[in-house]
Amino acid sequence: MNGQAGLSLTQAPPIGVPLRFFVTAPLFALAAALVLLWQGPELFSSRWNPAMVGITHMLTLGFMGLVMFGAILQMLPVVAGAPMRRPERVAAVIHAGATAGIILFGFGLISAVPLALKAGLPTLGAALLLFAVLVVITLRRALPQNMTARAMRLAALMLAGTVALGLLLLSNHAFGWWLQAREPLANLHLSWGLLGWVAILIAGVAYQVVPMFQLTPAYPDKLTRWLAPGLFVILLLLAPASQLPVLQFVLRILLAAGLAAFALATLWLQARRRRKLPDVSLNFWRVGMFSLLSAIALWFSGQIVQAMGAWQRYGVLLGVLMIVGFAVSVINGMLYKIVPFLVWFHLQSKNRANAIAIPNVRDILPESRTRPQMWLHFAALGMLLAATFFPAIFTYPAALLFGASNLALWLNIVAASRTYLRVDAQLKQASGHAAL
Amino acid sequence: MRERVVDARWLEPPEPMELTLAALNVLEPGERLRLLIHRTPHLLFPILQEWGYGFQTYDSDDGTYEILIWYKDDAAASGEPAPS
Repeated sequence: MNGQAGLSLTQAPPIGVPLRFFVTAPLFALAAALVLLWQGPELFSSRWNPAMVGITHMLTLGFMGLVMFGAILQMLPVVAGAPMRRPERVAAVIHAGATAGIILFGFGLISAVPLALKAGLPTLGAALLLFAVLVVITLRRALPQNMTARAMRLAALMLAGTVALGLLLLSNHAFGWWLQAREPLANLHLSWGLLGWVAILIAGVAYQVVPMFQLTPAYPDKLTRWLAPGLFVILLLLAPASQLPVLQFVLRILLAAGLAAFALATLWLQARRRRKLPDVSLNFWRVGMFSLLSAIALWFSGQIVQAMGAWQRYGVLLGVLMIVGFAVSVINGMLYKIVPFLVWFHLQSKNRANAIAIPNVRDILPESRTRPQMWLHFAALGMLLAATFFPAIFTYPAALLFGASNLALWLNIVAASRTYLRVDAQLKQASGHAAL
Repeated sequence: MRERVVDARWLEPPEPMELTLAALNVLEPGERLRLLIHRTPHLLFPILQEWGYGFQTYDSDDGTYEILIWYKDDAAASGEPAPS
Protein backbone atom coordinates (compact mmCIF):
# COMPACT_ATOMS: atom_id res chain seq x y z
CA MET A 1 0.00 0.00 0.00
CA ASN A 2 1.54 3.33 -0.95
CA GLY A 3 1.16 6.65 0.88
CA GLN A 4 -2.00 7.68 -0.94
CA ALA A 5 -3.74 4.35 -0.67
CA GLY A 6 -7.11 4.35 0.97
CA LEU A 7 -7.20 8.14 1.11
CA SER A 8 -10.71 8.46 -0.24
CA LEU A 9 -11.89 5.28 1.40
CA THR A 10 -10.90 6.57 4.80
CA GLN A 11 -12.21 10.00 3.75
CA ALA A 12 -15.68 8.54 3.33
CA PRO A 13 -17.20 8.48 6.82
CA PRO A 14 -18.74 5.23 8.12
CA ILE A 15 -22.17 4.57 6.59
CA GLY A 16 -23.83 5.07 10.00
CA VAL A 17 -22.97 8.79 9.81
CA PRO A 18 -25.39 9.70 6.99
CA LEU A 19 -27.82 6.81 7.50
CA ARG A 20 -28.86 7.82 11.02
CA PHE A 21 -30.09 11.14 9.55
CA PHE A 22 -31.80 9.49 6.56
CA VAL A 23 -33.62 6.95 8.73
CA THR A 24 -34.88 9.61 11.17
CA ALA A 25 -35.99 12.27 8.64
CA PRO A 26 -39.14 10.62 7.13
CA LEU A 27 -40.49 10.06 10.66
CA PHE A 28 -40.75 13.84 11.10
CA ALA A 29 -42.68 14.17 7.83
CA LEU A 30 -44.92 11.32 8.99
CA ALA A 31 -45.44 13.12 12.32
CA ALA A 32 -46.32 16.33 10.43
CA ALA A 33 -48.98 14.39 8.50
CA LEU A 34 -50.42 13.03 11.78
CA VAL A 35 -50.59 16.55 13.25
CA LEU A 36 -52.40 17.68 10.10
CA LEU A 37 -54.90 14.84 10.56
CA TRP A 38 -55.37 15.77 14.20
CA GLN A 39 -55.70 19.55 13.67
CA GLY A 40 -57.77 19.35 10.51
CA PRO A 41 -58.72 22.00 7.94
CA GLU A 42 -58.35 24.91 10.39
CA LEU A 43 -54.58 24.59 9.96
CA PHE A 44 -54.71 26.03 6.45
CA SER A 45 -56.29 29.27 7.63
CA SER A 46 -53.04 31.24 7.78
CA ARG A 47 -49.27 30.82 7.69
CA TRP A 48 -49.14 32.51 11.14
CA ASN A 49 -51.16 29.77 12.84
CA PRO A 50 -48.67 28.38 15.47
CA ALA A 51 -49.55 24.77 14.64
CA MET A 52 -48.86 25.55 10.95
CA VAL A 53 -45.48 27.02 11.97
CA GLY A 54 -44.83 23.83 13.96
CA ILE A 55 -45.72 21.52 11.04
CA THR A 56 -43.64 23.65 8.66
CA HIS A 57 -40.57 23.22 10.85
CA MET A 58 -41.13 19.50 11.21
CA LEU A 59 -40.75 19.44 7.42
CA THR A 60 -38.03 22.06 6.94
CA LEU A 61 -35.86 21.03 9.89
CA GLY A 62 -37.06 17.53 10.67
CA PHE A 63 -37.27 16.14 7.15
CA MET A 64 -35.31 18.45 4.84
CA GLY A 65 -32.76 19.61 7.42
CA LEU A 66 -31.85 16.15 8.71
CA VAL A 67 -31.42 14.70 5.21
CA MET A 68 -29.28 17.65 4.15
CA PHE A 69 -27.14 17.38 7.31
CA GLY A 70 -26.55 13.67 6.67
CA ALA A 71 -25.77 14.20 2.99
CA ILE A 72 -23.37 17.07 3.73
CA LEU A 73 -21.54 15.12 6.46
CA GLN A 74 -21.13 12.36 3.88
CA MET A 75 -19.91 14.70 1.11
CA LEU A 76 -17.87 17.10 3.24
CA PRO A 77 -14.56 15.16 3.35
CA VAL A 78 -14.73 14.47 -0.39
CA VAL A 79 -15.62 18.08 -1.29
CA ALA A 80 -13.06 19.53 1.13
CA GLY A 81 -10.40 17.06 -0.01
CA ALA A 82 -9.53 16.05 3.55
CA PRO A 83 -10.96 13.58 6.04
CA MET A 84 -13.07 14.89 8.90
CA ARG A 85 -12.00 14.26 12.49
CA ARG A 86 -14.20 11.96 14.54
CA PRO A 87 -17.11 11.93 12.08
CA GLU A 88 -19.17 9.50 14.14
CA ARG A 89 -19.02 11.59 17.29
CA VAL A 90 -19.81 14.81 15.38
CA ALA A 91 -22.75 13.11 13.64
CA ALA A 92 -24.06 11.70 16.93
CA VAL A 93 -23.97 15.10 18.66
CA ILE A 94 -25.62 16.99 15.78
CA HIS A 95 -28.20 14.26 15.19
CA ALA A 96 -29.17 13.98 18.87
CA GLY A 97 -29.28 17.76 19.42
CA ALA A 98 -31.23 18.51 16.26
CA THR A 99 -33.70 15.65 16.75
CA ALA A 100 -34.42 16.52 20.40
CA GLY A 101 -34.61 20.24 19.56
CA ILE A 102 -37.07 19.73 16.69
CA ILE A 103 -39.32 17.50 18.81
CA LEU A 104 -39.41 20.09 21.62
CA PHE A 105 -39.92 22.94 19.16
CA GLY A 106 -42.71 21.20 17.23
CA PHE A 107 -44.46 20.04 20.38
CA GLY A 108 -44.11 23.47 22.02
CA LEU A 109 -45.68 25.29 19.06
CA ILE A 110 -48.42 22.80 18.24
CA SER A 111 -49.52 22.27 21.84
CA ALA A 112 -48.68 25.83 22.98
CA VAL A 113 -46.31 24.75 25.76
CA PRO A 114 -43.76 27.58 26.38
CA LEU A 115 -41.60 25.33 28.59
CA ALA A 116 -40.91 22.99 25.64
CA LEU A 117 -39.95 26.01 23.52
CA LYS A 118 -37.63 27.28 26.25
CA ALA A 119 -35.90 23.88 26.40
CA GLY A 120 -35.88 23.44 22.62
CA LEU A 121 -34.38 26.85 21.89
CA PRO A 122 -30.81 26.23 23.18
CA THR A 123 -30.75 22.55 22.10
CA LEU A 124 -31.83 23.22 18.53
CA GLY A 125 -29.84 26.46 18.23
CA ALA A 126 -26.61 24.82 19.44
CA ALA A 127 -26.95 21.78 17.13
CA LEU A 128 -27.76 23.85 14.02
CA LEU A 129 -25.10 26.50 14.62
CA LEU A 130 -22.50 23.81 15.40
CA PHE A 131 -23.30 22.20 12.07
CA ALA A 132 -23.12 25.51 10.14
CA VAL A 133 -19.76 26.42 11.74
CA LEU A 134 -18.38 22.94 11.03
CA VAL A 135 -19.25 23.24 7.32
CA VAL A 136 -17.87 26.76 6.95
CA ILE A 137 -14.59 25.83 8.70
CA THR A 138 -14.09 22.45 6.99
CA LEU A 139 -14.64 23.89 3.53
CA ARG A 140 -12.10 26.66 3.90
CA ARG A 141 -9.56 24.15 2.54
CA ALA A 142 -11.62 23.25 -0.57
CA LEU A 143 -10.24 24.20 -3.97
CA PRO A 144 -11.47 27.64 -5.07
CA GLN A 145 -12.66 26.25 -8.43
CA ASN A 146 -14.93 23.74 -6.70
CA MET A 147 -18.33 25.34 -7.24
CA THR A 148 -20.17 22.78 -5.11
CA ALA A 149 -17.91 23.58 -2.13
CA ARG A 150 -18.51 27.28 -2.68
CA ALA A 151 -22.30 26.86 -2.80
CA MET A 152 -22.25 24.58 0.24
CA ARG A 153 -20.30 27.13 2.24
CA LEU A 154 -22.59 30.01 1.29
CA ALA A 155 -25.62 27.83 2.09
CA ALA A 156 -24.17 27.07 5.54
CA LEU A 157 -23.70 30.81 6.19
CA MET A 158 -27.33 31.32 5.19
CA LEU A 159 -28.29 28.52 7.59
CA ALA A 160 -26.47 30.33 10.41
CA GLY A 161 -28.33 33.57 9.58
CA THR A 162 -31.67 31.73 9.33
CA VAL A 163 -31.08 30.04 12.70
CA ALA A 164 -30.11 33.33 14.39
CA LEU A 165 -33.33 34.98 13.14
CA GLY A 166 -35.32 31.86 14.02
CA LEU A 167 -33.99 31.84 17.59
CA LEU A 168 -34.98 35.50 17.96
CA LEU A 169 -38.50 34.79 16.70
CA LEU A 170 -38.75 31.64 18.81
CA SER A 171 -37.68 33.47 21.98
CA ASN A 172 -40.61 35.74 21.21
CA HIS A 173 -42.99 32.76 21.45
CA ALA A 174 -41.15 31.11 24.35
CA PHE A 175 -40.85 34.10 26.65
CA GLY A 176 -43.93 35.99 25.53
CA TRP A 177 -42.28 39.36 24.80
CA TRP A 178 -43.53 41.47 21.91
CA LEU A 179 -41.19 41.88 18.98
CA GLN A 180 -42.08 44.98 16.98
CA ALA A 181 -40.47 43.87 13.73
CA ARG A 182 -41.84 40.34 13.90
CA GLU A 183 -43.32 40.22 10.41
CA PRO A 184 -40.33 41.59 8.42
CA LEU A 185 -37.96 39.40 10.48
CA ALA A 186 -40.12 36.33 9.87
CA ASN A 187 -40.13 37.11 6.14
CA LEU A 188 -36.34 37.47 6.14
CA HIS A 189 -35.99 34.20 8.12
CA LEU A 190 -38.17 32.46 5.55
CA SER A 191 -36.29 33.92 2.55
CA TRP A 192 -32.87 33.08 3.97
CA GLY A 193 -34.00 29.60 4.96
CA LEU A 194 -35.80 28.51 1.80
CA LEU A 195 -34.03 30.55 -0.89
CA GLY A 196 -30.61 30.73 0.81
CA TRP A 197 -29.87 27.57 2.75
CA VAL A 198 -32.18 25.20 0.84
CA ALA A 199 -32.10 26.50 -2.74
CA ILE A 200 -28.38 27.41 -2.81
CA LEU A 201 -27.52 24.00 -1.36
CA ILE A 202 -29.75 22.11 -3.80
CA ALA A 203 -28.19 24.04 -6.70
CA GLY A 204 -24.65 23.32 -5.48
CA VAL A 205 -25.38 19.63 -5.06
CA ALA A 206 -27.19 19.52 -8.42
CA TYR A 207 -23.99 20.69 -10.21
CA GLN A 208 -22.53 17.30 -9.18
CA VAL A 209 -25.39 14.84 -8.97
CA VAL A 210 -27.51 15.80 -12.01
CA PRO A 211 -24.72 15.27 -14.61
CA MET A 212 -23.36 12.24 -12.70
CA PHE A 213 -26.54 10.23 -12.04
CA GLN A 214 -28.76 11.48 -14.86
CA LEU A 215 -25.98 11.44 -17.51
CA THR A 216 -26.68 14.98 -18.68
CA PRO A 217 -24.19 17.54 -20.00
CA ALA A 218 -22.58 19.72 -17.29
CA TYR A 219 -24.33 22.89 -16.05
CA PRO A 220 -23.14 26.01 -17.91
CA ASP A 221 -19.96 27.46 -16.33
CA LYS A 222 -21.50 30.92 -15.95
CA LEU A 223 -24.40 29.52 -13.95
CA THR A 224 -22.26 27.45 -11.57
CA ARG A 225 -19.87 30.37 -11.09
CA TRP A 226 -22.37 33.17 -10.44
CA LEU A 227 -25.67 31.72 -9.23
CA ALA A 228 -24.77 30.85 -5.62
CA PRO A 229 -22.76 34.03 -4.85
CA GLY A 230 -25.39 36.14 -6.67
CA LEU A 231 -28.29 34.68 -4.67
CA PHE A 232 -26.25 35.02 -1.47
CA VAL A 233 -25.51 38.74 -1.98
CA ILE A 234 -29.12 39.53 -2.97
CA LEU A 235 -30.43 37.68 0.09
CA LEU A 236 -28.05 39.61 2.36
CA LEU A 237 -29.20 42.90 0.83
CA LEU A 238 -32.82 42.01 1.66
CA ALA A 239 -32.03 42.78 5.33
CA PRO A 240 -31.24 46.50 4.95
CA ALA A 241 -33.83 46.79 2.14
CA SER A 242 -36.72 45.79 4.42
CA GLN A 243 -37.69 49.46 4.85
CA LEU A 244 -37.36 50.28 1.12
CA PRO A 245 -40.23 48.65 -0.80
CA VAL A 246 -38.93 49.47 -4.29
CA LEU A 247 -35.43 48.10 -3.66
CA GLN A 248 -36.99 45.10 -1.93
CA PHE A 249 -39.11 44.41 -5.02
CA VAL A 250 -36.12 44.72 -7.40
CA LEU A 251 -34.05 42.35 -5.23
CA ARG A 252 -36.88 39.81 -5.14
CA ILE A 253 -37.27 39.98 -8.91
CA LEU A 254 -33.53 39.22 -9.24
CA LEU A 255 -33.87 36.31 -6.79
CA ALA A 256 -36.81 34.90 -8.75
CA ALA A 257 -34.86 35.26 -12.02
CA GLY A 258 -31.84 33.44 -10.58
CA LEU A 259 -33.92 30.55 -9.24
CA ALA A 260 -35.90 30.33 -12.50
CA ALA A 261 -32.59 30.16 -14.43
CA PHE A 262 -31.52 27.22 -12.23
CA ALA A 263 -34.84 25.37 -12.68
CA LEU A 264 -34.90 25.94 -16.45
CA ALA A 265 -31.23 24.93 -16.84
CA THR A 266 -31.90 21.71 -14.89
CA LEU A 267 -34.95 20.81 -17.02
CA TRP A 268 -33.03 21.67 -20.20
CA LEU A 269 -30.07 19.46 -19.19
CA GLN A 270 -32.41 16.61 -18.24
CA ALA A 271 -34.07 16.81 -21.66
CA ARG A 272 -30.56 16.29 -23.13
CA ARG A 273 -29.58 13.30 -21.02
CA ARG A 274 -27.70 10.49 -22.74
CA ARG A 275 -29.96 7.59 -21.91
CA LYS A 276 -33.62 8.35 -21.95
CA LEU A 277 -34.64 5.54 -19.60
CA PRO A 278 -37.50 6.01 -17.13
CA ASP A 279 -36.12 6.89 -13.72
CA VAL A 280 -37.90 7.52 -10.42
CA SER A 281 -35.29 9.96 -9.16
CA LEU A 282 -35.46 11.98 -12.39
CA ASN A 283 -39.26 12.29 -12.02
CA PHE A 284 -38.82 13.65 -8.50
CA TRP A 285 -36.36 16.24 -9.83
CA ARG A 286 -38.67 17.27 -12.64
CA VAL A 287 -41.68 17.72 -10.36
CA GLY A 288 -39.39 19.67 -8.03
CA MET A 289 -38.27 22.02 -10.80
CA PHE A 290 -41.83 22.55 -12.09
CA SER A 291 -42.96 23.30 -8.52
CA LEU A 292 -40.17 25.87 -8.15
CA LEU A 293 -41.19 27.52 -11.45
CA SER A 294 -44.87 27.48 -10.38
CA ALA A 295 -43.96 29.10 -7.05
CA ILE A 296 -42.03 31.82 -8.90
CA ALA A 297 -44.96 32.42 -11.30
CA LEU A 298 -47.43 32.52 -8.39
CA TRP A 299 -45.26 34.93 -6.41
CA PHE A 300 -44.90 37.20 -9.46
CA SER A 301 -48.67 37.16 -10.10
CA GLY A 302 -49.25 38.08 -6.45
CA GLN A 303 -47.02 41.14 -6.91
CA ILE A 304 -49.00 42.33 -9.93
CA VAL A 305 -52.53 41.37 -8.92
CA GLN A 306 -53.08 43.01 -5.52
CA ALA A 307 -56.11 40.89 -4.63
CA MET A 308 -54.10 37.71 -5.07
CA GLY A 309 -51.19 38.85 -2.90
CA ALA A 310 -53.67 39.86 -0.20
CA TRP A 311 -55.42 36.45 -0.23
CA GLN A 312 -54.96 34.96 3.21
CA ARG A 313 -53.88 31.53 1.95
CA TYR A 314 -51.46 32.91 -0.71
CA GLY A 315 -48.51 32.42 1.67
CA VAL A 316 -49.62 28.86 2.48
CA LEU A 317 -49.90 27.98 -1.22
CA LEU A 318 -46.41 29.38 -1.89
CA GLY A 319 -45.15 27.37 1.08
CA VAL A 320 -46.68 24.09 -0.17
CA LEU A 321 -45.14 24.62 -3.62
CA MET A 322 -41.68 25.54 -2.29
CA ILE A 323 -41.46 23.07 0.59
CA VAL A 324 -43.40 19.95 -0.46
CA GLY A 325 -43.33 20.54 -4.25
CA PHE A 326 -39.75 21.72 -4.69
CA ALA A 327 -37.56 20.79 -1.71
CA VAL A 328 -39.20 17.59 -0.43
CA SER A 329 -39.50 16.19 -3.99
CA VAL A 330 -35.85 16.85 -4.89
CA ILE A 331 -34.60 15.53 -1.53
CA ASN A 332 -36.75 12.40 -1.81
CA GLY A 333 -35.38 11.82 -5.33
CA MET A 334 -31.81 12.33 -4.17
CA LEU A 335 -32.24 9.86 -1.30
CA TYR A 336 -33.09 7.19 -3.86
CA LYS A 337 -29.70 7.70 -5.52
CA ILE A 338 -27.58 8.30 -2.42
CA VAL A 339 -28.85 5.51 -0.12
CA PRO A 340 -28.44 2.50 -2.47
CA PHE A 341 -25.15 3.94 -3.74
CA LEU A 342 -23.71 4.26 -0.21
CA VAL A 343 -24.89 0.78 0.80
CA TRP A 344 -23.35 -0.72 -2.33
CA PHE A 345 -20.12 1.30 -2.07
CA HIS A 346 -19.43 0.49 1.59
CA LEU A 347 -20.11 -3.22 1.03
CA GLN A 348 -18.10 -3.36 -2.18
CA SER A 349 -15.05 -1.64 -0.68
CA LYS A 350 -14.95 -4.35 2.01
CA ASN A 351 -15.21 -7.15 -0.52
CA ARG A 352 -11.54 -7.25 -1.55
CA ALA A 353 -11.32 -11.01 -1.72
CA ASN A 354 -14.54 -11.11 -3.77
CA ALA A 355 -15.77 -13.42 -1.03
CA ILE A 356 -19.48 -12.97 -1.75
CA ALA A 357 -21.70 -11.41 -4.40
CA ILE A 358 -22.67 -7.86 -3.43
CA PRO A 359 -26.24 -6.96 -4.47
CA ASN A 360 -26.30 -4.19 -7.06
CA VAL A 361 -28.01 -0.84 -6.49
CA ARG A 362 -31.20 -1.95 -8.24
CA ASP A 363 -31.54 -4.89 -5.84
CA ILE A 364 -30.75 -2.75 -2.79
CA LEU A 365 -33.63 -0.35 -3.53
CA PRO A 366 -35.74 -1.81 -6.36
CA GLU A 367 -38.03 0.33 -8.46
CA SER A 368 -40.96 -1.84 -7.34
CA ARG A 369 -40.50 -0.13 -3.95
CA THR A 370 -39.58 3.40 -5.04
CA ARG A 371 -42.14 3.93 -7.83
CA PRO A 372 -45.30 3.43 -5.69
CA GLN A 373 -43.86 5.79 -3.06
CA MET A 374 -43.21 8.36 -5.82
CA TRP A 375 -46.89 8.25 -6.87
CA LEU A 376 -47.97 8.58 -3.24
CA HIS A 377 -45.82 11.70 -2.92
CA PHE A 378 -47.15 13.26 -6.14
CA ALA A 379 -50.74 12.50 -5.11
CA ALA A 380 -50.07 14.00 -1.66
CA LEU A 381 -48.65 17.14 -3.29
CA GLY A 382 -51.74 17.51 -5.50
CA MET A 383 -54.06 17.04 -2.52
CA LEU A 384 -52.11 19.52 -0.35
CA LEU A 385 -52.36 22.13 -3.12
CA ALA A 386 -56.10 21.44 -3.40
CA ALA A 387 -56.41 21.68 0.40
CA THR A 388 -55.14 25.27 0.39
CA PHE A 389 -58.16 26.15 -1.83
CA PHE A 390 -60.77 23.82 -0.30
CA PRO A 391 -59.47 22.77 3.13
CA ALA A 392 -62.77 21.26 4.26
CA ILE A 393 -62.72 18.67 1.46
CA PHE A 394 -59.04 17.95 0.86
CA THR A 395 -57.20 18.29 4.20
CA TYR A 396 -57.84 14.72 5.39
CA PRO A 397 -57.01 12.93 2.11
CA ALA A 398 -53.91 15.16 1.81
CA ALA A 399 -52.74 14.25 5.33
CA LEU A 400 -53.39 10.53 4.75
CA LEU A 401 -51.52 10.49 1.43
CA PHE A 402 -48.60 12.52 2.75
CA GLY A 403 -48.37 10.24 5.79
CA ALA A 404 -48.52 7.11 3.62
CA SER A 405 -45.85 8.52 1.28
CA ASN A 406 -43.43 9.17 4.13
CA LEU A 407 -44.15 5.87 5.84
CA ALA A 408 -43.31 4.14 2.52
CA LEU A 409 -40.14 6.26 2.17
CA TRP A 410 -39.09 5.33 5.70
CA LEU A 411 -39.73 1.62 5.07
CA ASN A 412 -37.66 1.85 1.85
CA ILE A 413 -34.68 3.41 3.62
CA VAL A 414 -34.96 0.92 6.47
CA ALA A 415 -35.05 -1.95 3.95
CA ALA A 416 -31.85 -0.68 2.28
CA SER A 417 -30.17 -0.30 5.70
CA ARG A 418 -31.17 -3.85 6.64
CA THR A 419 -29.68 -5.13 3.39
CA TYR A 420 -26.44 -3.43 4.39
CA LEU A 421 -26.43 -5.08 7.83
CA ARG A 422 -27.28 -8.50 6.38
CA VAL A 423 -24.61 -8.47 3.66
CA ASP A 424 -22.04 -6.91 6.01
CA ALA A 425 -22.61 -9.83 8.41
CA GLN A 426 -22.12 -12.27 5.51
CA LEU A 427 -18.88 -10.49 4.58
CA LYS A 428 -17.60 -10.74 8.14
CA GLN A 429 -18.50 -14.42 8.23
CA ALA A 430 -16.75 -15.05 4.90
CA SER A 431 -13.60 -13.23 5.97
CA GLY A 432 -13.71 -15.17 9.26
CA HIS A 433 -13.77 -18.42 7.26
CA ALA A 434 -10.90 -17.17 5.06
CA ALA A 435 -8.82 -16.39 8.14
CA LEU A 436 -9.27 -19.87 9.57
CA MET B 1 0.13 -7.53 -24.07
CA ARG B 2 -3.37 -9.00 -23.85
CA GLU B 3 -6.17 -6.66 -22.87
CA ARG B 4 -9.75 -6.86 -21.76
CA VAL B 5 -11.93 -3.86 -22.55
CA VAL B 6 -14.77 -2.55 -20.40
CA ASP B 7 -16.84 0.09 -22.16
CA ALA B 8 -18.59 1.95 -19.32
CA ARG B 9 -19.26 5.15 -21.27
CA TRP B 10 -22.61 6.76 -20.36
CA LEU B 11 -23.56 4.12 -17.83
CA GLU B 12 -25.11 5.32 -14.59
CA PRO B 13 -22.97 5.08 -11.45
CA PRO B 14 -22.07 2.74 -9.91
CA GLU B 15 -22.38 0.47 -12.98
CA PRO B 16 -18.94 1.49 -14.35
CA MET B 17 -17.33 0.50 -11.06
CA GLU B 18 -19.35 -2.72 -10.82
CA LEU B 19 -18.23 -3.76 -14.31
CA THR B 20 -14.62 -2.75 -13.67
CA LEU B 21 -14.29 -4.66 -10.40
CA ALA B 22 -16.03 -7.69 -11.91
CA ALA B 23 -13.60 -7.64 -14.86
CA LEU B 24 -10.57 -7.26 -12.58
CA ASN B 25 -11.67 -10.35 -10.67
CA VAL B 26 -11.36 -12.52 -13.76
CA LEU B 27 -8.21 -10.88 -15.14
CA GLU B 28 -5.70 -13.57 -16.16
CA PRO B 29 -1.97 -13.27 -15.42
CA GLY B 30 -0.35 -11.05 -18.05
CA GLU B 31 -3.63 -9.33 -18.87
CA ARG B 32 -4.53 -5.67 -18.48
CA LEU B 33 -7.90 -3.97 -18.33
CA ARG B 34 -8.76 -1.00 -20.54
CA LEU B 35 -11.67 0.96 -19.07
CA LEU B 36 -13.52 3.42 -21.32
CA ILE B 37 -15.47 5.96 -19.26
CA HIS B 38 -17.13 9.35 -19.74
CA ARG B 39 -15.92 10.95 -16.48
CA THR B 40 -13.04 10.63 -14.02
CA PRO B 41 -13.94 7.75 -11.65
CA HIS B 42 -12.79 9.42 -8.43
CA LEU B 43 -14.17 6.67 -6.21
CA LEU B 44 -12.53 3.86 -8.19
CA PHE B 45 -8.93 5.10 -7.85
CA PRO B 46 -8.54 4.66 -4.07
CA ILE B 47 -10.02 1.15 -4.31
CA LEU B 48 -7.53 0.27 -7.07
CA GLN B 49 -4.67 1.66 -4.99
CA GLU B 50 -5.74 -0.14 -1.87
CA TRP B 51 -6.24 -3.42 -3.69
CA GLY B 52 -2.80 -3.34 -5.30
CA TYR B 53 -3.58 -2.25 -8.84
CA GLY B 54 -1.60 0.23 -10.92
CA PHE B 55 -3.38 2.51 -13.39
CA GLN B 56 -2.75 5.12 -16.02
CA THR B 57 -5.35 7.60 -17.32
CA TYR B 58 -5.43 8.89 -20.92
CA ASP B 59 -7.73 11.63 -22.24
CA SER B 60 -9.55 10.71 -25.45
CA ASP B 61 -10.20 13.26 -28.19
CA ASP B 62 -13.98 13.08 -27.62
CA GLY B 63 -13.71 14.22 -23.98
CA THR B 64 -13.98 10.71 -22.50
CA TYR B 65 -11.22 8.82 -20.69
CA GLU B 66 -9.34 5.58 -21.14
CA ILE B 67 -7.89 4.03 -18.02
CA LEU B 68 -5.37 1.22 -18.23
CA ILE B 69 -5.38 -1.01 -15.13
CA TRP B 70 -3.01 -3.85 -14.18
CA TYR B 71 -2.22 -5.87 -11.09
CA LYS B 72 1.02 -4.54 -9.63
CA ASP B 73 2.32 -7.94 -8.56
CA ASP B 74 1.87 -9.21 -12.11
CA ALA B 75 5.22 -8.23 -13.69
CA ALA B 76 4.11 -9.34 -17.14
CA ALA B 77 1.07 -7.05 -17.08
CA SER B 78 2.65 -4.05 -15.39
CA GLY B 79 4.57 -3.27 -18.57
CA GLU B 80 7.84 -2.73 -16.79
CA PRO B 81 10.75 -4.80 -18.00
CA ALA B 82 10.65 -8.09 -16.16
CA PRO B 83 13.80 -8.76 -14.11
CA SER B 84 16.04 -11.04 -16.09
